[in-house]
Amino acid sequence: MRRLLDSLDTPTIFAVMSLAGIGILAIASSTAKQPGRDDLWKMQLIWILIASVAAVVVVLVDYHVWAGIGMLLHGAVVALLVLVLFYGREIGGNKSWLVFGPLRLQPSELAKWTTCLVVAGYLAHRHKETLGLREILELGVLVGVPMGLIVLQPDYGTALIFVPIFLAAIWLGGLRWKVITAVLVIGLALAPVVWTQLKPYQQNRILTVFDQERDPSGVGYQVRQSKIAIGSGGLTGKGLFGGTQSQLNYLPAQHTDFILAVIAEELGFLGGAGVLGLFYFLMFRGFAAARTAQDRLGTYLCLLVVSWITGQVAINVGMVLGLLPTIGVPLPLLSYGGSALVAVICGIGLVVNVRTRRFVN
Amino acid sequence: MDYRERFEIKDYRNERMLGGRIGLMHVGVIVLLVFFSLNFWYLQVVRGDIYARLAENNRLRRVVLPPTRGVIRDRAGRVVASTRPSLNLVLTRESRGDVDIQLRRLAPILGVPYVELKERHNRMRGRPLFEPMVLKVDVSMDILARVESRREKFPSVEVRQIARRSYPEGDVVSHPLGYVGEVSFAQLTSGGEGPGLASGDIVGKAGVEKGKDDLLRGERGLEFVSVNNLGRRIGEGRIDRLAVSGGDLGVTVDLDLQRTLMEAFGDEVGGAVFMDPRTGEILAMGSTPSYDPNDFADGISREVWQSIQSDPRRPMHNRAIASFYAPGSTFKVLVAIAGLESGAISPSERVFCNGSTRIYGSTRLCWKRGGHGWVDLRLALAHSCNVYFYKAGQKMGIEAIHKYGAMFNLGKPRGLDIPGEAGGILPSDAWKRKARGERWYPGDTISVAIGQGLLAVTPLQMATMMAGVGTKGSLPYPRLTTDGAREPSELQISQRTFDLIQEALADVVTEGTARRAQVEGYTVAGKTGTAQVYKMSAGIDADKMDKATRDHAWFAGYAPADNPRIAFAVVVEHGGHGGTTAAPIARKVLKEFFVKEKTGSGSYATASR
Repeated sequence: MRRLLDSLDTPTIFAVMSLAGIGILAIASSTAKQPGRDDLWKMQLIWILIASVAAVVVVLVDYHVWAGIGMLLHGAVVALLVLVLFYGREIGGNKSWLVFGPLRLQPSELAKWTTCLVVAGYLAHRHKETLGLREILELGVLVGVPMGLIVLQPDYGTALIFVPIFLAAIWLGGLRWKVITAVLVIGLALAPVVWTQLKPYQQNRILTVFDQERDPSGVGYQVRQSKIAIGSGGLTGKGLFGGTQSQLNYLPAQHTDFILAVIAEELGFLGGAGVLGLFYFLMFRGFAAARTAQDRLGTYLCLLVVSWITGQVAINVGMVLGLLPTIGVPLPLLSYGGSALVAVICGIGLVVNVRTRRFVN
Repeated sequence: MDYRERFEIKDYRNERMLGGRIGLMHVGVIVLLVFFSLNFWYLQVVRGDIYARLAENNRLRRVVLPPTRGVIRDRAGRVVASTRPSLNLVLTRESRGDVDIQLRRLAPILGVPYVELKERHNRMRGRPLFEPMVLKVDVSMDILARVESRREKFPSVEVRQIARRSYPEGDVVSHPLGYVGEVSFAQLTSGGEGPGLASGDIVGKAGVEKGKDDLLRGERGLEFVSVNNLGRRIGEGRIDRLAVSGGDLGVTVDLDLQRTLMEAFGDEVGGAVFMDPRTGEILAMGSTPSYDPNDFADGISREVWQSIQSDPRRPMHNRAIASFYAPGSTFKVLVAIAGLESGAISPSERVFCNGSTRIYGSTRLCWKRGGHGWVDLRLALAHSCNVYFYKAGQKMGIEAIHKYGAMFNLGKPRGLDIPGEAGGILPSDAWKRKARGERWYPGDTISVAIGQGLLAVTPLQMATMMAGVGTKGSLPYPRLTTDGAREPSELQISQRTFDLIQEALADVVTEGTARRAQVEGYTVAGKTGTAQVYKMSAGIDADKMDKATRDHAWFAGYAPADNPRIAFAVVVEHGGHGGTTAAPIARKVLKEFFVKEKTGSGSYATASR
């Protein structure tokens, strides 16, 4: 126990707490003038405390034990995902919430965590070193079942996060370059065909990414307001609580999915790039933990968590910058939302866990 | 720990492969984050100024600060139009309270049926949410108290203060003053109405309010306010330019005379003008039926508008300046002047009237069946003998009548300082050829000589002519404000002619057809007239003709006869004989005028500004 504390990864914990702290400030700022929402930052603070307690549990238990009961946990979460389809509470168009009294839980967020656990376990456990069709299919089932259930909710944004986890899995699992090249070539060749099969509104949504003036009031409105918020922030920003786009409500979903636009508006390029820098620091620590892990399981665990968080950051930032279509994906650690926060912090808890046990005893 | 053994990798051949792939993945993460950082740099630093401006455009809304319209006073300084604060009860549409229940509860308090409130609320759909629905304008303290005492039942109801144009005299001065309203689309797009007009501005729509709009309106102020995504105002605004209040204005109308005139008309339909013959300042201008300009002050209700528009007597029409009528016998004054000046008649020449005469093969009647016997000019005017004027007209011809009529500005607008002044018809051979494609027949002149036929003038023109006669040759420019006054035009007519005409016109009231216009202690000069109904087919807008089945009654003149200080013309539509209906109206106003003049309660030298 004593050694566990000594080898605790303080820089990582510091980065996590910095990002969560910036998130709290941004939530407080963006909801300050919204009646009924101006207390959300306190809720987020409570969630950070809950997540911290959960993370301590995650770190204290050896990651081999977590991997050992991985399938059990994954099965339980899949069961919850089935349950939510029937008994879930619909909020914002997605039936993704389970409500137990005052507690609201999003099983889809927990599914990311257990998926990392079982995929790492599978990769470390397999008998063959190469990645054959059978292994790809088995990995596909592990990732695809929760993802499919989440698509049914339908919460495409959350489901999308399973794609980088799966890609990282087959990449790290040793998918042959031949196959990678072939898939890329076929994909490029098929793109025009797929395009013609899309419905006009779907095409429009993709085109809006390239030309925001296409539909300034409809699809493009959110993205346009987001870009105005970011751009008008300039180098140093308008000051916390001083952003006009956010304070006057022009930004959509400003305390959740578009929180980074609020930060960029009020803290400027320094704030936005600073957040990206902190995320990079977090990833860097993840890669370091992966390289120094005592075994493959630890390596895979760290890298899968990195791919999850990186994927989620990429999709969210791409959306906020208007480079990707608007899909509901929160920014890890910063966006308002309890389940997501707990899941991400517990994910990083796994990385800390692996790092803490890097020396074989 | 056996579980560890289970995951132990036996073969380390792929160790290098994994190391390489971790490295590539790391590079991928770096590339991605650098790419995003460059994007932020581009948006925030390279294009930051553009987005900053876009954000300001989002945030700032220009709000017009309406100017306070100038006060209008009568010539004694009494307020006849002003802007006062008024309280409106409004329903805000942003809040979440149940609107339906509130409207149901408000209906009995406001005395408006629930269905009407509901319908008005429905009509607001599509308007921005921050725009409230007006429940009741100029709400009374009683209603306000009843709403406030049950505040918690009306979460969406608010009281807003607005500036409201107010006309304390109601329909008494409405035709000279006019009314105000929101600037029309046509006015905005024509551009000619003066620059700086913007949608939503309150402008004069008629009368002095329109004629002197530039002076009264003032200048809009401008304020920049922060608005949220719903357009609702947030926080304090920044005033860019303060509103400049409009200038105050005095009108030449005397409220007492105006009231007397409107009362004297009673239920009769008609128009009248009373002016100072020396300056052209209009002391009273009446047109009946009238309307209440307060109804227009804050967006007239559809019901009131419809009732005004559908009234066949056209209350919005200013008969004193915009309606023209055949002048009837009042025109004989002009014919007499034309005859004397052209030498076609002489004062002593006598004509025998036996009730009718034959001219150009047709029989023309005098109004007096038994005839007037031998009449000279003075008697002919005093008793309005038609036969005398048939013969006079026959001798002088239409061109002489036209020449002197034009001199007195008949059939033409004279540049009154309010809009709506109509012309009319002063016929000539040239006019008839142009308007009707027909030459002038001598027989046409015979009708014109007694003020009938192809002839149409407004009460304003007739009053102006009488002013010219009363002043013996200086024809004033009538006006309602002292702003931009013009000197009267001098007429090239001999004093001897005016002496003769003035004597005859004084006789009209003392012993002739207008004895009902006598005012004790004063001599009134004037001429009655009865305008026959006739149909015009060309050269004149049929809409502007007032249909009639009964003759219109005229009385026009000036007083006192020897030193006129007031000139006038009164028309009563379908009033029959001028002496019976029009003269008594003039008498009441003249009497009031002299009483005020004697007691010194009116300032008649110049209008106050």
